[in-house]
Amino acid sequence: MKVVGARLPRYDGVGHVTGRTTYVDDVRLPGMLHAAALRSPHHHARITHLDTSAAEAMAGVHAVITHADVPLLVYGHLSGGGIPGDEPLLAKDHARYRGQPIALVAADTVDIARAACAAIDVGYEELPALFDVRLAFDDDAPVVNDAFGNWYDQYEGNLDVRQIRKGDIEAAFDAADLIVSGVYRTQSQEQVPLETQVCVAVPEPDGRLTIHTCTQAMYFSLGVVCSHLQLPMSQVKMVGGTVGGGFGGKVDTASDTLTALAAQKTERPVKWRWTREEEMLASGNRGPWHMEIIDAVSRDGWILGRKMLTIHDAGAYGRFSVYGVTKHSFHHTGAYTIPNLHFDGYVVFTNRIPTTAMRGYGITGLSTAIEVHAERVARELGMDPYEFRLKNANRVNDTSPNRIPYEDPSTVEVLQSLASATGSELSDDLRAMTRDQRSADMLPDHLAAQIGSGGGH
Amino acid sequence: MELTVNSVSCTVQSPPLTSLLNVLREELDITSPKAGCESGGCGACTVLVDGQPRRSCLTALCTVDGAAVVTVEGLGTPEDLSRVQQAFIHHYAAQCGFCSDGMVVAATAYVNAGGSDDTDAIREALAGHFCRCTGYVKILEAVAAAARGDELDIDSTASSANNTYVTIAGAES
Ligand code: FES
Ligand code: FES
Repeated sequence: MKVVGARLPRYDGVGHVTGRTTYVDDVRLPGMLHAAALRSPHHHARITHLDTSAAEAMAGVHAVITHADVPLLVYGHLSGGGIPGDEPLLAKDHARYRGQPIALVAADTVDIARAACAAIDVGYEELPALFDVRLAFDDDAPVVNDAFGNWYDQYEGNLDVRQIRKGDIEAAFDAADLIVSGVYRTQSQEQVPLETQVCVAVPEPDGRLTIHTCTQAMYFSLGVVCSHLQLPMSQVKMVGGTVGGGFGGKVDTASDTLTALAAQKTERPVKWRWTREEEMLASGNRGPWHMEIIDAVSRDGWILGRKMLTIHDAGAYGRFSVYGVTKHSFHHTGAYTIPNLHFDGYVVFTNRIPTTAMRGYGITGLSTAIEVHAERVARELGMDPYEFRLKNANRVNDTSPNRIPYEDPSTVEVLQSLASATGSELSDDLRAMTRDQRSADMLPDHLAAQIGSGGGH
Repeated sequence: MELTVNSVSCTVQSPPLTSLLNVLREELDITSPKAGCESGGCGACTVLVDGQPRRSCLTALCTVDGAAVVTVEGLGTPEDLSRVQQAFIHHYAAQCGFCSDGMVVAATAYVNAGGSDDTDAIREALAGHFCRCTGYVKILEAVAAAARGDELDIDSTASSANNTYVTIAGAES
């Protein structure tokens, strides 16, 4: 074996321990300005007026950027993939979450930029805010999102929900000996990279822009910047790859676009580094998920069918949430094979920070729900949880909720290792189990129909 | 005010209440101390002040007038790495590296003070230093190795010129 167990050279090891690695905040340029943002203090408000003249008149202030300066104000992180845009780069008439940027000031020092933000005159008319996804569908719920209302409504076929329908769910529930339901809710979580969001944008003499970025998604961010700024991609050079931690929190293009705009407007290099407070308050975090699972189970421990309702809290704008819920829907049976499925997943908007990726986007909270639920079903059945899990484990040629045959599922081996690591006894049968396709005589009727006939597509 | 930074004496112009972190980063362009939180919470800005680890973000310039300040740049160079730096490389204790400057500085103070390889003692010495990437295990291993004075082979882990896979004994099978 050439790689596993080998000591691979680390190309950045020496730089990291000698202070030589250059992160975005370490980029030094002559004449560089510093930026600070004015952010909404309200969760939901109408912006009644915005007057930046006092800030612009302050000594040391070089530019104040507002919505009026953005060539294409509203764009969506998935617009490149056909999802309509919903998020203004800077708030115009409405602030939809606390911490939403309204203006960016570029000044000689950060202190001046912050003082100038405080000198911007903004009028707000506070509006009722929505925080609980369960109330989003009520007739009297505050309306959060301009483009979509309170939930995303433009899936294929004009559906307002991500659906999976597989097999015959009613037959599965008719055949069930036991029906087990549970509601699982996971909380939001900030990624907390040690390096906060930061960008340095540099106007080049030939009119192009160089952007030193902390993004985790270089070409993606290039597209977002060029779209808002209405620049051809040939005019923007992104320099990145040295990221002080991201964990999903630097997939959103948080600081590059506004910094680039400030550099364009001032014709000076501009740095915008978020404070830790801003990072916690206003950068995209892992969203909360509301998951309801109802399983139809046979007395001998097969999961015959699953009905599931998921409500994902996207925060105020869509960002990647439509992708997140789609991925979630593909994984909603987890490590187990369930042939009959009825899944509905909603992307719901609330007056919270827009949510984004974090280590297993759409999956991590889901796995908690699936595993806690599996444990409960096993208990209800009076069955050993390992036996229950192994019985329903994904095997070669079982199909995922979106009908992809598994070529290499590892559920069986993972459960066996887990049992041995925790000193749990497995029967000889379970110890001998492999990931191989179940032999026809082992198949229960419900899986025979799925696999025996070539996958139940 | 006067500071000796990594053995170089400098006269600094920043106002007296400027944080040492900003003096180092913005006036002297010494960028290894990182502004992770600027409120004493993360440890990324740690430097040695007269040999003692200090949060530079909470240290006002006027309180360290005349002091000797050492940042990670002053501990060793790529050609001449300190024991702690070698141990961090050998044990892969730096992932994104953003916490490493502060970690290496604090670990150096610990090792220089004769700290042992006892895990609890190392945890205590590094308390308040946050790392979001490594899960800390590799950092504890590195500091313990430096405290013991382990013989380290960093050539296989540190090379940037030679990007070939290096196998260790027993891995070739
Ligand atoms: S920046 Fe000083 S402790 Fe975080
Ligand atoms: S290596 Fe990334 S924070 Fe420690």
